[in-house]
Amino acid sequence: MSDHHSEVLIDFQNVSKRYGAFRALRDVSFQVREGEIVGFLGPNGAGKTTAMRILSGFFPPTSGHVSIRGVDMSKHPHKAKQAIGYLPETVSLYPDMRVIEYLRFVAKVKGVPPHERWGHIRAKMSFCGLLEVSHRLIGKLSKGYRQRVGLAQALMGDPSVLILDEPTTGLDPTQIKEIRELIRALGQNRAVILSTHILPEASMLCNRVLMINQGEILASGTVQELASCLKNREVIHIRIKHREDRQHAVEALGSIQGVRGLRSGEEANGETFFAFESLPDEDLRPKITKLFVEQGISLAEIRREPMNLEEVFLGLLEEGKLGRRFS
Amino acid sequence: MRKIFALARKEFSGCFHSWLGVLMAVLFFLVSGIFFVILVLNYVKMSMHPEQYGLSHFTGINQTHFIFGSFFTNLSILLLFLVPILTMRSFAEEKRQETLELLFTYPVSDFEIVAGKQLGIMIFFGALLAPLLGYLAVFRGIGGEFDWGPALLGFGGFWLIGTAYLAAGVFISSLTRSPIVSALGTFSVLLVFWIFDWVKDIAGGPWGRVFSELSPLAHYRNFTIGILDVQDAVYFGFFFFYFVFLTLRSIETRNWKS
Repeated sequence: MSDHHSEVLIDFQNVSKRYGAFRALRDVSFQVREGEIVGFLGPNGAGKTTAMRILSGFFPPTSGHVSIRGVDMSKHPHKAKQAIGYLPETVSLYPDMRVIEYLRFVAKVKGVPPHERWGHIRAKMSFCGLLEVSHRLIGKLSKGYRQRVGLAQALMGDPSVLILDEPTTGLDPTQIKEIRELIRALGQNRAVILSTHILPEASMLCNRVLMINQGEILASGTVQELASCLKNREVIHIRIKHREDRQHAVEALGSIQGVRGLRSGEEANGETFFAFESLPDEDLRPKITKLFVEQGISLAEIRREPMNLEEVFLGLLEEGKLGRRFS
Repeated sequence: MRKIFALARKEFSGCFHSWLGVLMAVLFFLVSGIFFVILVLNYVKMSMHPEQYGLSHFTGINQTHFIFGSFFTNLSILLLFLVPILTMRSFAEEKRQETLELLFTYPVSDFEIVAGKQLGIMIFFGALLAPLLGYLAVFRGIGGEFDWGPALLGFGGFWLIGTAYLAAGVFISSLTRSPIVSALGTFSVLLVFWIFDWVKDIAGGPWGRVFSELSPLAHYRNFTIGILDVQDAVYFGFFFFYFVFLTLRSIETRNWKS
């Protein structure tokens, strides 16, 4: 999908950010080209928002460089910010301003020339479906409409880079669908970065995904690459009846070759479940069943499933802790 | 410059968005009107029975001095209440609603943000003062006699002390994310500056001199009695720019705080 001849719009080089002793980002580098929609994936506190705030020019990184369309953010913040539209995580807008009044203010501050201003604002309002609420107070709008006002302010001044922090959280399914369609349309001739913790959303919208955790990029690749990575990975789910057998089961599974990324937990009915990764060419189920029966572990269920994106992500997190890196 | 005006306009119209700005304007007109009427009536009473006030003949009391001098002194007390409320929203409210984050990502500098906010509030405060000029017209209308110079100088001095106080209020607002804390903080700081004026009398000597130089009221007093001293104007200018500078430093702290 990504055309390597198109212009690099976002260049993030060896960026680190510290808050006192806490390292929110550690040596993160990536590039985004025109026409790409890149998804930031990661659990809460992974560093997604910090990366986006640095990218938007809200605060500078502790070390490293950020350039937008080749303009260094630390040297020419004005010029770099001119090319950016940012939708923060909590879309916080002035509740006591009217939609049109607010957008006019944003257009002026972003330097849209006076003779183009009115047409520009109208175009953005009609693109985001705001024409019918243009004279309502922002504070009185529904969450979905407020999100659209947020998107409209990000689009003001036609930035070539869009940064959207969790653009669909808190919306109902219809609104989510609408916002996703808007984002897809916007990605055509811009560089879009969006963060999300909803994996299907990333696979639906993004050409490329960056998985980040604890301030580091764990994996990056196109959705197809990640999907092909799913094909040769499988998960075995096991359930046991009695909680006393848990320790035995862990030991037994540990003795089997080819068990990776073991996770366990307790279900509501008191049963214990285990899940781990295995390679598809070797079916471990007969081996496990035999071992469990020999040791008298109360096996209730064992099944094999292909891995979904969520499990790939969890697997990567697990291996990230072990020091393995994917890129 | 255009961006500063856009920010100033937003700040100015923001004063009318809430009932608070309108209420403050109404209260300000009401109280200043009462001050003025009482002063005029007192003057009338004195002029009719000068002997009761221990004055053998009345011509010695200057209308400009008696009425406008006291009027502006009284108005400066009103600032202690007006300024905290006018400035409490400027940064604290934007921090609370998290709208400031978005503002920082727009292509505007910190200086433009601070200048725009400051200018918007100054214009609102100036708009509050303009109708007070009507008192001069009314006073003329009922046959009063005064000198335009000292009366206008009084207005100028009041605007200077007011904008200096507003700069302090905007700075305190930039320190917190709670408008109430901002208002209480500003009130306390203005009160401390107010007390400098008493301390200078109590302390006397070289310390008295120091406090008198630092006291905004001591510098303001000259304006109310029709004396234009460059020192006083410089003092308020310094006061104003000092707090604007502190505000700039205060919003820069986001670069190294979490």
